[in-house]
Amino acid sequence: MVRFFSATVFFLLFCLHAVIVHAQDCVYRISGTVTDNQRHPVMGAVVRIETDSTKGDVTDTGGKFTILNACQGHLMLTCKADGFSTAVAHIHIDGNNNVQFVLSADKNQLHEVVVNGVRMQDLHTVSHTELKGLALLQSRGKSLGEALKMLPGLNTIQTGPTIAKPVIHGLHSNRVLLLNNGVRQEGQQWGSEHAPEIDPFVANRINVVKGAASVRYGADAIGGVVLLDPDPLPNNKGISGDAYLIGQSNGRMGTASMSLQGKLSDKLAGVAWRLQGTVKRAGNFSTPDYYLKNTGISEQDFSASVGYRRNGWEIAGYYSMFNTKNGIFEGAHAGNITDLYAAFSRTRPITQSVFSYNIGRSYQRVYHDLAKATAIYRFANEGKLELNIARQKDLREEFDISLPFTKDPELLKKPQVSFQLKTHSAELVYTQPSVNGFSGNVGVAGNTQGNVFRGIRYLIPNFRTYSGGAFAIERYTYKRLTIEAGARYDYRWQQVYQRNQSTLATYHTTLEFSNITATGGAIYRLSDQLTLTGNVGTAWRAPSVNELYIHGVHFSDASYQDGDSTLGAERSLNSSITLSYQSTKLRATVDVYNNTIGNYIYETPQAQPITLLSGTFPAFKFTQDNVTIRGVDASVQYDFLSHFTLQSRATIVRGYNHSAQDWLIYMPADRYENGLVFNLHEFGFMEEPYLSVENVSVLRQDRVPPGIDYAPPPAGYSIFNASTGFTTHIRNHKMQLDFTVSNMTNTAYREYLDRFRYYADNIGINFIIKTKISF
Amino acid sequence: MKNKSIILFSVTIAMLAWNSCKKDEKTVAPPDPENEVITTVKLVATNAADTTDIVTAQWKDLTPNDGNPDLTQAAMTLKKNATYNVAVTFLDETKSPVEDITEEVEERSNFHLVCYTPAASLNVAVQRTDLDNNTPKLPLGLKTRFTTGGASTGALQVALHHQPSGKNGTDCSIGSTDVDVNFTVTLQ
Repeated sequence: MVRFFSATVFFLLFCLHAVIVHAQDCVYRISGTVTDNQRHPVMGAVVRIETDSTKGDVTDTGGKFTILNACQGHLMLTCKADGFSTAVAHIHIDGNNNVQFVLSADKNQLHEVVVNGVRMQDLHTVSHTELKGLALLQSRGKSLGEALKMLPGLNTIQTGPTIAKPVIHGLHSNRVLLLNNGVRQEGQQWGSEHAPEIDPFVANRINVVKGAASVRYGADAIGGVVLLDPDPLPNNKGISGDAYLIGQSNGRMGTASMSLQGKLSDKLAGVAWRLQGTVKRAGNFSTPDYYLKNTGISEQDFSASVGYRRNGWEIAGYYSMFNTKNGIFEGAHAGNITDLYAAFSRTRPITQSVFSYNIGRSYQRVYHDLAKATAIYRFANEGKLELNIARQKDLREEFDISLPFTKDPELLKKPQVSFQLKTHSAELVYTQPSVNGFSGNVGVAGNTQGNVFRGIRYLIPNFRTYSGGAFAIERYTYKRLTIEAGARYDYRWQQVYQRNQSTLATYHTTLEFSNITATGGAIYRLSDQLTLTGNVGTAWRAPSVNELYIHGVHFSDASYQDGDSTLGAERSLNSSITLSYQSTKLRATVDVYNNTIGNYIYETPQAQPITLLSGTFPAFKFTQDNVTIRGVDASVQYDFLSHFTLQSRATIVRGYNHSAQDWLIYMPADRYENGLVFNLHEFGFMEEPYLSVENVSVLRQDRVPPGIDYAPPPAGYSIFNASTGFTTHIRNHKMQLDFTVSNMTNTAYREYLDRFRYYADNIGINFIIKTKISF
Repeated sequence: MKNKSIILFSVTIAMLAWNSCKKDEKTVAPPDPENEVITTVKLVATNAADTTDIVTAQWKDLTPNDGNPDLTQAAMTLKKNATYNVAVTFLDETKSPVEDITEEVEERSNFHLVCYTPAASLNVAVQRTDLDNNTPKLPLGLKTRFTTGGASTGALQVALHHQPSGKNGTDCSIGSTDVDVNFTVTLQ
């Protein structure tokens, strides 16, 4: 508590310091294009920063403009051209921005402004990547884990076609943090078959921080952070919105998502709102040769936000609800190791299946809701104080196909295991104004959570956790160089409640963890096109309750797991270098990283299998060792001819366990994606039509510790995807259409990071049609 | 307007704070009394030629999660070159009175199959003598006939398979395994 208090005093002093100093950080570039609504470039348009009349540019023959030395903060950009109505864009500059103005010839029509900012995260020097533009549209309808696989450095760990989790630089689950609208998602992330409880449609901006980010986001950010943010609430009066309709042949899946937003007027001026909802339904997915029995999905999600803005104040409320029922492939059900080996030896699942939307046992039912209240005050000097308070509830229930033995019919309807986690959190962050090249954030955060386990069999204990932290990040920009440093202190108190197996008496154990994390990095702009970024950061993670106390058979693995209550916290030291080149013809980024994790927690096989009444199980015990994960992510886009772009991505990860002197298990295999895109500015009624073909090649994972896995890693594979689409306007409503065929050759393959690779192939050919209508 | 918003905001915070004071996690859910766990597999062999000649054996683990079974009675001695009618029962001996889980297996007989696998060294042939309610009826395996050969000894594996789909009455590799234990059988 004393430490907490002193951190608050430190924080207040920091604010005071920031208020005294003045001046602005004017290093950013705003560039973009001006077109008419037929997408023809408009030459001679004047683009100007209204708040700073000395800065502006006139568009060239290609409709392009560039404004240098734009200052950080909010600004108003206007675009004027003869014969067109004036367009206005309100943008927030915290990095180089790209703005597209679409001018209307008719003064009565509404203009349209598209802002594609290079949004900087709070840690500027940790490498990050964003899912945007066409890739964002093409990711729609996929689960979060699947959607992020389109980014360099990211993979997925899957449990069949319905459950996918993001893997950042070889790490996943509770080593990857998810932020839903700024709030740490607190779910049951410890299991590899526990997918993120988030509907990606809530977000229009999906960013991934790849690397140690504990300084800003607290414990667990060892692999990285996925940030899902909705667009800011509208500034314009009138109701607008987006509607997505997505259909896919495999699983006969349909997804519909819609958002509506508006701003009130008169007495309620300043109040803006948004409502958003998603419905998803799928039946049995199919591999090239057979259907996967009981792999349907039924998902319904909803979110609502309301905000009020006046003078320097901004108050907002946000609520989101995620609700899903996922079938678990029937062929993957194993009672013991004998069943598992019998399943491996089959070339196809024993139970024949047909298409059906029916979801029977085994299935998972997952519910997550989040309520958040935000208050922001912007000081006259552009400083900002933000308070977030959130409450979330996660309920996960698993229904096994093997019913319990009982004479009570009620018990047969109950889930075998259920976990309920309630979290209350608060965060207060002060963002200092950019003065003399200095900028930064300071903040305090705290949360408390209670976990209640109920089940027919024991799996993990109940617990209550309190944790708190304080951080400061400071940046200094001088000409082409930005340097950044930050530090954070975290404290965590956890009490675990268990029942003695023989006396049935409840007892508790208290665990305390505290940690200091730090980050330091620099960005150097070698030229207008070439940027070099380097960062060294630390992160930490306290052992999760399953790693400490799990005791029993993990049925989905057919393994007997034993926790170790003496485990300590993991600590990582992550160094990364990013080289980025951005020109009109060539855009390339290479990330190289080395992540050394001390006390990395994993399961190690025991020499003696365990004999239970239900058979023999391989035994695993959680243990910790020192490991290193290093790798390279590269992405290149090259416009080698007009209308043609070559794009390539490579994700290479190596994990090594120093204590065991062997490779780390379950590291992603090398992955290469190469594609060719053909696009035009317009063709008939179509605007920006495109046609792309892509090859995804994944090598066999040969770097595995011998004798641990039940089956050797599957062979490498190579699949082809193709897509085509365009944008058009129907009565001033923008409509985007995309048609994709994935796994075009209907190739049967298995993926190393798919836990169902033991039982079945991945899904076969899939035709997907997506439409997005903006109104 | 501003004051109202602040009041509303404070009320929300107060509600959140109040809600967080409930401590559900301190109540650790006890094991469901209605849930039955198989702790014991019992074989009762009755000599077909002499119904007073009854041999029993049991494989027992009263703490079914820790891997320390009680194998003191997991062996049986049968007469060589004889025929026995054998019944298998599954019990929950952690309950008082002891629960007979065999009834639940019989109730869901269409989705269960009991398999008997003698080691190569053991001269026993096992034949299932009961049927389930599938159409056509398929073997179940709660009742069997053991036909013993010459003097020998070895392990007999008894396994209860849950086969929610694909049961064909012979293939023991289908589905998942609820019970998989080994008895030592001696013929003399």
